[in-house]
Amino acid sequence: MLENYLPILIFIVVGVIVGGAMMAFGFILGPHRPDTAKLSPYECGFEAFEDSRMKFDVRFYLVAILFIIFDLEIAFLFPWAIVLKDIGLFGFSAMMLFLGILVIGFIYEWKKGALQWE
Amino acid sequence: MTEFLQTIFIGWGLPESLAIGLTILLQIALILGVLFAAVAYLTLAERKVIGYMQVRVGPNRVGPRGLLQPIADALKLMFKEIIIPAGADKKLFLIAPVLAMAPSLAAWAVLPVADGWVLADINAGLLYVLAITSMGVYGVIVAGWASNSKYAFLGAMRSAAQIVSYEIAMGFALVGVLMAAGSLNFGQIVASQQGEYGLFSWFWLPLLPLFVIYFVSGVAETNRAPFDVAEGESEIVAGFHVEYSGMAFAVFFLGEYANMILISALAALLFLGGWLSPFQGWTDSWLGQSSIIWMLIKTSFFLFLYLWFRATFPRYRYDQIMRLGWKVFIPITIVWIVVVGGLVMGEIGPWFAAA
Amino acid sequence: MAFEQIVFYAFSAVLVFSAGVVITVRNPVHAALFLVLCFFSTAGLWLLLRAEFLAIALVLVYVGAVMVLFLFVVMMLDINIAVVRQGFARYLAVGGVVAILLIAVMAMVVGGDYFGLERTPVPEPIGEVSNTRLLGLQLYTDYVYPFEIASVILLVAIIAAIALTLRRRPDSRYQEPGRQVEVRRGDRVRLVSMKSEERR
Repeated sequence: MLENYLPILIFIVVGVIVGGAMMAFGFILGPHRPDTAKLSPYECGFEAFEDSRMKFDVRFYLVAILFIIFDLEIAFLFPWAIVLKDIGLFGFSAMMLFLGILVIGFIYEWKKGALQWE
Repeated sequence: MTEFLQTIFIGWGLPESLAIGLTILLQIALILGVLFAAVAYLTLAERKVIGYMQVRVGPNRVGPRGLLQPIADALKLMFKEIIIPAGADKKLFLIAPVLAMAPSLAAWAVLPVADGWVLADINAGLLYVLAITSMGVYGVIVAGWASNSKYAFLGAMRSAAQIVSYEIAMGFALVGVLMAAGSLNFGQIVASQQGEYGLFSWFWLPLLPLFVIYFVSGVAETNRAPFDVAEGESEIVAGFHVEYSGMAFAVFFLGEYANMILISALAALLFLGGWLSPFQGWTDSWLGQSSIIWMLIKTSFFLFLYLWFRATFPRYRYDQIMRLGWKVFIPITIVWIVVVGGLVMGEIGPWFAAA
Repeated sequence: MAFEQIVFYAFSAVLVFSAGVVITVRNPVHAALFLVLCFFSTAGLWLLLRAEFLAIALVLVYVGAVMVLFLFVVMMLDINIAVVRQGFARYLAVGGVVAILLIAVMAMVVGGDYFGLERTPVPEPIGEVSNTRLLGLQLYTDYVYPFEIASVILLVAIIAAIALTLRRRPDSRYQEPGRQVEVRRGDRVRLVSMKSEERR
């Protein structure tokens, strides 16, 4: 099994190296003539008037939290999906119950307006 | 091919471990070479296709019919200055493009293009692809934050929320495929689509809603039109990569296009039978044989859809995108997973008949 | 085998190094990114133990989802490090005692008495079987009860997340696509028949 993962490890390393090498190439070949106007953040020609790392709508956190929960759900569904033919009706109904409970949660967030974007 | 190369290297008197390493590196170089060429010519195809759709001819100056245009673009980007904005977090600013590109390359390690033509034939292939592509969001977030620019930060947050939302719909769609195939291994998923009804034995038919949702989510996942609010020119200039120039921008760009090809290849493998012939079971001539050519045709078809969408659809508004992802796609996929469960349990043929 | 050990030590070194950086680096965003590296090398170690599914699920769930939330939070909260460090000296004594106690407890539990190599026999290698499949065969039949409990915990998490973070802003306006679709011409357009004016 592990010998199958060796190419993957090497591939990830090569991917990072290729990316890094391309950036390095850009640095070596490109000119370097910085000046203040060029280095200021782009704001349609205006001077930046406040720190750009601002506070954000709390809704983005909610999306991220809900994403974690649903991602876990998918992680539970994956092994189930591939053994479905072997575990029979019992395994099938076990997952239906699992999904049913989570659908309750999904309906709750829908009704609460957590999925609403203005 | 693996054994062939290994025997050659061992024949040169190299130790076995070195031979294995060299073989793997050569194969990776081959995959990356083909991939980079495909990306380069995808950019040309994009401009040509959209050009003709808008009754223009597209780029036609560099080389015959503009065929050398991508090479000229690459050279130009290479000789441009990489600007690092004054307030930027320098290290993260430079790491971000690599973070965006490396996952979209690494995912290719497990993708077969024809029967047995795969670098790493692992059992959990599909799971690996899902996990590694979910890393791509880091490039976006880190780029937006490190740039210290409002547009970049806004674009990054928007696109991160969008990517994670559609990843759920995509994950659910993949669960449907797994239920139908009963395996996470790409070779076995394709093999289980084999049948005597040609293209009607493939999974796109019983999984039609999941197929559509998978591909649309794929378009949203790669931040392409009509879901490209992350870089909506009219709202936030170019989104998370406003501050990037030269090669740093090119690396982002490469990652995005490599991802497009990845999503298209996955769609072909999972729903359209990969390298299987659409006429399988109908004719015994060369048309009925499975080969890499079918895989290439199917992948190009999805890539063409990408370009077609971009040329024809107006951009979605952000609240509409989130609505589509959460309130339309997720409920449909959950319902269809239950339906597919019923089909698999009932062994409804020809797709799920007991083997 | 030698190569496997090299990979093991490489992953472990990265893991220990990045874990150290997580708690020492000043910038919270950098700390979060090093935590990502931690998870990644942990996944590598699990893979060396042949826990294929668990390793990839770790990347999928922790790297792909949990850390994205962490990054969102630390990026947007704008934590002021100077303020956080203010009470450092004052709390050092209490914090130190708690830390030492925690380390002692962990050492007692994780020590050789419970987790020693001789405690559990080395499992027989099972050969080329997909361990996702084996996990599935067990999880939904023999362990169905804990599995259903997991879904209830996730349900609680959904409700808690909404209760904690959902704040309605009074000034926001929504579109309701359902009502937009239902609109008929009669609701919007009124045809009025008027006599044309006389020409003067």
